[in-house]
Amino acid sequence: MLFAAPAMLLFATFVLLPLGASVYYAFTYWDGFSAPRWAGFANFTRALTDPTFLMSFVHVVLYILATLVFEVSFGLFMAVLLNSDRRGFSLMRGMFFAPVVLSMSAAGVLWKFVLDYRTGLLNSTLRSVGLGDWAQPWLAQPETALLFICIVSGWKYAGFYMVIFFAALRRIPRNLYEAAKLDGANGVQQFFAITLPMLKQNVIVCILLAVTGGFAGFDLFFTMTNGQPFGATEVPATWIIKQAFDQNQIGYGVALTVVLTVVVSVISIAYLKISERGHVTRY
Amino acid sequence: MSRATERPRSAAEWLQFASAGVIVMVMFYPAVWMVYSAFKSNREIFRTPFALPGEWKWGNLIEAWNVGGLGTLYLNSVFVTVMAVSMCVLFATGAAFAFTRLEFPGRTLMYRVLLVGLLLPPPSVAIALFTQLRDMHLLNTHWALILPGAAWQLAFTTFLMRSYFLSIRPDMEEAARLDGANTWEIFWHVSVPMVWPAMLTMIVLNTIAVWNELLFALLFVTDDAQRTLPVGLVRFSGYHSTDYSLVFAALAITTVPILILYFILQRHVIAGLTATAMD
Repeated sequence: MLFAAPAMLLFATFVLLPLGASVYYAFTYWDGFSAPRWAGFANFTRALTDPTFLMSFVHVVLYILATLVFEVSFGLFMAVLLNSDRRGFSLMRGMFFAPVVLSMSAAGVLWKFVLDYRTGLLNSTLRSVGLGDWAQPWLAQPETALLFICIVSGWKYAGFYMVIFFAALRRIPRNLYEAAKLDGANGVQQFFAITLPMLKQNVIVCILLAVTGGFAGFDLFFTMTNGQPFGATEVPATWIIKQAFDQNQIGYGVALTVVLTVVVSVISIAYLKISERGHVTRY
Repeated sequence: MSRATERPRSAAEWLQFASAGVIVMVMFYPAVWMVYSAFKSNREIFRTPFALPGEWKWGNLIEAWNVGGLGTLYLNSVFVTVMAVSMCVLFATGAAFAFTRLEFPGRTLMYRVLLVGLLLPPPSVAIALFTQLRDMHLLNTHWALILPGAAWQLAFTTFLMRSYFLSIRPDMEEAARLDGANTWEIFWHVSVPMVWPAMLTMIVLNTIAVWNELLFALLFVTDDAQRTLPVGLVRFSGYHSTDYSLVFAALAITTVPILILYFILQRHVIAGLTATAMD
């Protein structure tokens, strides 16, 4: 018990205590300095009628759906594509994974340059192949800003899912594929008949990671657009920080964090319950 | 290894190699572009975004280093990361040892409680943690990043250390106990050497996470002298948003060492991630 004590103490102080305090503060009017005043459910009714906050959930859900495509599916695709013992593939796997170790802020700053209207890599490429008309201020217009944040997120994290799927691919017995080949299955058929079912457990874990990670998404949004243009990329985390620290409404900001916690917990527990039915996750 | 098995490649294999190569190159190019753009003048960045610099201006790097105070940022990041990671991995190993090798009341409950941390998003406590750290007079100190940083990595680290402990039979520990070793000695002289590979992996993964942490670093430290690299970089790029070469230089200085370190430690990073996702 002594051996678990330091970990439990640290965890209780900096994770559980603020979590508990959040629940209390969420029911108060508080600017962070004077004594909190009891507010009942006022903060929560306000949260549920706060259009920006509600929209931020729409954005984060879109973001999560996009990460399932650009990160999980693309990572799986690349794991299959990079699965070879031939020379060069190990290096390519290493390069593909490299963005994962960079900080989100570095990735965000770098991609702001890539997407810059005048000098960015993307628009320069378009101009050099004669498609200059297609050049857009990608991060400055509401229609494309969120999409490009999702793409950057994909650039950063696809390697992570690739590595996970790649390791799992290596565990699939070769003779399954040989049997399939004898039966005349082509590459695509083999993928859907063997690879995908064998990776089911990994896919489930990866989706959970993408969903919980998505709701926590802050760094990239803060670095690249911080909710702009016109709130088109506002996600819960960025909006919460603005409410609490720019507007000094700690009580309201905390209520928003509680809503976020509840939403994430409900979704992940429901998800785990559903996937546990197939005996696939062992938490 | 590949040399011995290098038979001629089939057409399909060449296609696989080529398409993988193109995708990887396109995705890796922005990083390369960033590095050589760091040596160009603003004029060159504007006029010829793809070209290599006409003259390699090493002065950009020196200027960015001095203007951005990158030395201080680096030192702060190193200190915070070393402290938080060692604290987290040590505590998590102790906890995993207790959860798998010792019997005590509340064992399962404690573990379950810890697992809550696996699913919680950090923004969900950010504000309450801010006021709590303020009342503890820890704001604007490195401890405001070290303690929460370590605490937020604990759930995940303990979870994985526990599964590593479970994968090793407790024979050695039992033998040591029969020889009269106390629990403390068993932990340090038997268990820690046995799980050291897993600890190393967790050190690498936690280092990546803590080193890159932005949200807490942004909120809990507002004193320039105490800031860490990710926050410093975002602020730097905000201040100098029109001086492209300077921001590129700062970007290169902050990312290239990490990338080099990654390519050296690649095996550990990837082995670690693989282990995490399997359970």
